[in-house]
Amino acid sequence: MSAAQVASLSAETVTIEERTPFQIVMTRFRRHRLAMVSLVIMTLVLLITILAPVIAPFEVQELSVNKYFVPFGTVDEETGRVHYLGTDQIGRDYFSRLIYAGRISLTIAIISTLISELVGIVIGAVSGFFGGWIDNILMRFVEFMLTIPTLPLLLIISSMLLRNEELIPIPEPLLRFMGNIMLLTARDSRNAVLIIIILAGFGWLNAAQLMRGMVLSLREQTFVEASRSLGASNYRIITRDMIPNAMAPIIVDASLGLAGYVVAEAALAFLGFGIQDPIPTWGNMLSASQEFMLDRPWLPLVPGLPIFLCSLAFNYIGDGLRDALDPRLKL
Amino acid sequence: MTAFFIRRIFQMILVVLISAVASYALLNLAPGGPLAGLRQQQQSARFQITEEDIARIRAYFELDLFLPYRFTRWLVGVPRGPITIGGNEYFSDLVVGCRKPLESDVLNEETGKFEAVITGCKEDVFMKDLAGRRTSRGILLGDFGLSWRILRDRPVSDLILSRLSKTLQLIGLSTLLSLLIGIPLGVYSAVRQYSKFDYIFTSLAFMGSAMPTFFFGILMIIAFSIVPKEAGWPYVPSGLSESVRDYTIPIIGAVEAGSIKDRFLHLLLPTAVLTIFNIAFYSRFVRASMLEVMRQDYVRTARAKGLGERVVILKHALRNALIPFITIVVFTLPGLFSGAIITESIFAWPGMGRLYLLALGDFDYPVAMAIFFILAVLTVIATLMRDFLYTIADPRIRLS
Repeated sequence: MSAAQVASLSAETVTIEERTPFQIVMTRFRRHRLAMVSLVIMTLVLLITILAPVIAPFEVQELSVNKYFVPFGTVDEETGRVHYLGTDQIGRDYFSRLIYAGRISLTIAIISTLISELVGIVIGAVSGFFGGWIDNILMRFVEFMLTIPTLPLLLIISSMLLRNEELIPIPEPLLRFMGNIMLLTARDSRNAVLIIIILAGFGWLNAAQLMRGMVLSLREQTFVEASRSLGASNYRIITRDMIPNAMAPIIVDASLGLAGYVVAEAALAFLGFGIQDPIPTWGNMLSASQEFMLDRPWLPLVPGLPIFLCSLAFNYIGDGLRDALDPRLKL
Repeated sequence: MTAFFIRRIFQMILVVLISAVASYALLNLAPGGPLAGLRQQQQSARFQITEEDIARIRAYFELDLFLPYRFTRWLVGVPRGPITIGGNEYFSDLVVGCRKPLESDVLNEETGKFEAVITGCKEDVFMKDLAGRRTSRGILLGDFGLSWRILRDRPVSDLILSRLSKTLQLIGLSTLLSLLIGIPLGVYSAVRQYSKFDYIFTSLAFMGSAMPTFFFGILMIIAFSIVPKEAGWPYVPSGLSESVRDYTIPIIGAVEAGSIKDRFLHLLLPTAVLTIFNIAFYSRFVRASMLEVMRQDYVRTARAKGLGERVVILKHALRNALIPFITIVVFTLPGLFSGAIITESIFAWPGMGRLYLLALGDFDYPVAMAIFFILAVLTVIATLMRDFLYTIADPRIRLS
């Protein structure tokens, strides 16, 4: 059979409705009900945090004098604004701070994920594709980093960096840009950027190992061989053949990573080695509420539930994506 | 096989060394540290701190030695002083540090501020000066030196040992309980796959793995300590490992501070938190592993031979399913110490994890570095044990 015959054959006989890979994945993803619910919830949360300045009735640092721990739904007499979730120990509106905190916490999680997956993809791909001594050095390094107990090292690094904020030079425009995203001044955003660097600095290891594994198995595939025999450069093979085909585990890893970063950032702040108080994050709000929970046991729920919900939602989304992209995947 | 382990051991020694260097560098190269506050005091008129005081304090923290000497003294306890061979002292006039640095204020063009810059040295420290100084035998030999702040001038090892038993209590008990509960749960859930029990169990375990420890701990305190106490029901004390004064709990009765009953009650909540987390993790793993094994041919063969379901599951399936599980358990052991950091800080449990946080927050670097070093060594040993157990538990695995 000649090639022309094959072509005409397939065109006539195959009548299955054509669907792009994206559509196939979306249909399968929709079957995972909890993942869909999580996706809706997270979209809502993201929208609320993006619209923070519009939705929040109060400013982040605005103090209502003599109104400490007012109950839920108290109306401010002068301006008519409502303290939906009451106020904290120095009279700052809880609801507004919660939204701004969400914006900061989620920005940190999302950017850390982006950076760590990107670094992981590049290092994993280079390591798997070239093999030899490059692979040896990179993977020994990854293994070494994985043997170090993570949380204690994170604590050492952040305790040192937070005391010497100027130690790592961060360009002013970047700080201002990040500050605009998180609605912070350039000076305050340095703190957040440092946390991103710390978190992403440890987060890429897993992605690199995943990517390397995928590239190693892809390297033997015929389409890569075909590419090479057509004279494609290494760069082209990596970017056009390897990376797109290895995206499935990376996407799943990224969504689980988001959950991990939300919790990790909150944990650092909770232990006092993360972002510090005047800047609101869910972690340091939870840590502050701990002091007053003897008299007000509901207080820790306010910043604690968002952390749990986000972590749970990202985990469900990751689970749904894994089922949709490749049910055999184990992560 | 032997070659693999020998190579592995060398690798691990390297890992320990590098993490020792890394932690030392992180804490010692950064500006600030214990002398930062002193400089400000020096400028205020009320505390007259002389140059001599500063020199003495610098000597106390060994900050007057050059970094390489400081590091080797910390790592292996040398140099202790001049080397004596056959009555002759060698290297006694070698300059190893600077007792009083010469500082001058230099105008920084960019910021327009004066900054203190070390430009020279007024008084050197010679090798012979080291002879009288106290030295640790070196962290590699298990001597972690003296604490700077938390228990000043007491050996770090004393401090750690006093806290270690508390942490081991917590970790040991919760690991034991979670294995005893987690394995049967995982097995049962796998055997009854797609049943109502399995469905509820997997969703709960999934939520458990997404739940942050610190939030869960706070929820437990609220649910079992604060709310019942206010309502006048029996409650569980939360915080510290024993009470300071006697107290009475409804129904349970009077509890004497420091008694076994008191300590048991205080152990309940932190153990419960750690245990529930471990159960969520372990049982999920056992379930997956069991499901994998139960699809195997030899399980079908065992059934075909007419063996009872009990024997098939407990003898043929479970034993094989536990092979990967053993290694997981071994590998999570050092992680338990890290996990205990958060749990201990919520419950004010006086263990190693809290000590670590305290040391980091209080500039007590010898303590922080010692704990970090111990954790690194534990992780490395666990990694080795994992590989070793793997080959023992499953002869099919060949390492090379």
